[in-house]
Amino acid sequence: MNLAVEEAIPRMVGEGKSPSTVRFWHNSNTIVIGCFQSAKLEVNMDACKETGTEIVRRFTGGGAVYHDSGNLNYAISLRKGHRLVPNQNLQSVFQRLSEGAVEGLRKLGVEAEFQPVNDIQVDGKKVSGAAGSIRWNSIFHHGCILVGSDLSILGKVLNVPGVKLEDKHVASVQKRVTTVRDELGRDVSTREVRDAIVGGIESCYGVRVESGELMKEEVGLAEELYQTKYSRLEWNLEP
Amino acid sequence: MSATKLERLRSADYKAPGGKLVRVRLKEEQGQIRSIRITGDFFLVPEESLGKLEKMLEDVPLREAELRLLVDRFFRGTGAQGLGVAHDDFVKAILSAKETV
Repeated sequence: MNLAVEEAIPRMVGEGKSPSTVRFWHNSNTIVIGCFQSAKLEVNMDACKETGTEIVRRFTGGGAVYHDSGNLNYAISLRKGHRLVPNQNLQSVFQRLSEGAVEGLRKLGVEAEFQPVNDIQVDGKKVSGAAGSIRWNSIFHHGCILVGSDLSILGKVLNVPGVKLEDKHVASVQKRVTTVRDELGRDVSTREVRDAIVGGIESCYGVRVESGELMKEEVGLAEELYQTKYSRLEWNLEP
Repeated sequence: MSATKLERLRSADYKAPGGKLVRVRLKEEQGQIRSIRITGDFFLVPEESLGKLEKMLEDVPLREAELRLLVDRFFRGTGAQGLGVAHDDFVKAILSAKETV
């Protein structure tokens, strides 16, 4: 249902029915693949069965990410033409809308920096990946921050082809990622990171973030999208 | 006497200089693409346009000049925007597809 809500909000924002929105959420063990990826090629299905990991496809491009309760997702939905992203070039969108998260992580003491195309890295290791789209009269950007995720499962459930790691000089996906917890050397909750990101977004973009619940219409649209798309095997696993 | 179909399966995992992976699985017959599936971790907006590119590639000769012309026409015609992958990367990925059994 989380991925259905991800789609519902920018649709409503684009229609002018919802305000500019930042949403935070997390999933239990799930692989979220990009809309152009082949589940069969990217995911180790046997390892997913063993570890009870679900596979879901999102509506944005980019690579597969592993979600668990130690992972914090944020999503920013703006109406097209918003002052924060006047240039509707996808790279500019990723860079500009990652800045709030980068600022938030720095407030926590993590030396984060945006790394094109779509990563936030700490000393060359990825701590967050982003994806996004420009559609439905909206600009949408979402990212997942590895706060205290179980990286040993990540390495098992994702099939990363050798060609992808060649220029990174590392043998596995597990070795090129890090977590906020590992960088700070202490336990850190997703709530603490969320609050830091909200602070980063407010100071970086000069906005005030007010907390709130999903609107009734957003929930209704998300339920419809869940029934017709995100609960279906043909969307999640094919091709 | 029935005609023999000489259909070959070809595949490639091509890493674009922009860092993204383009995976191609295609059926080739007599030097032409019969069907093609392009997957990967790149970005392309609007997302639905990838299906259009795959459709446009059907029956196109597996030759660089023709492929480049078609991919350029796709981007010009649809106004699609790629990220992490250049127009030419689609051409190179397709051309690098090797025969598989």
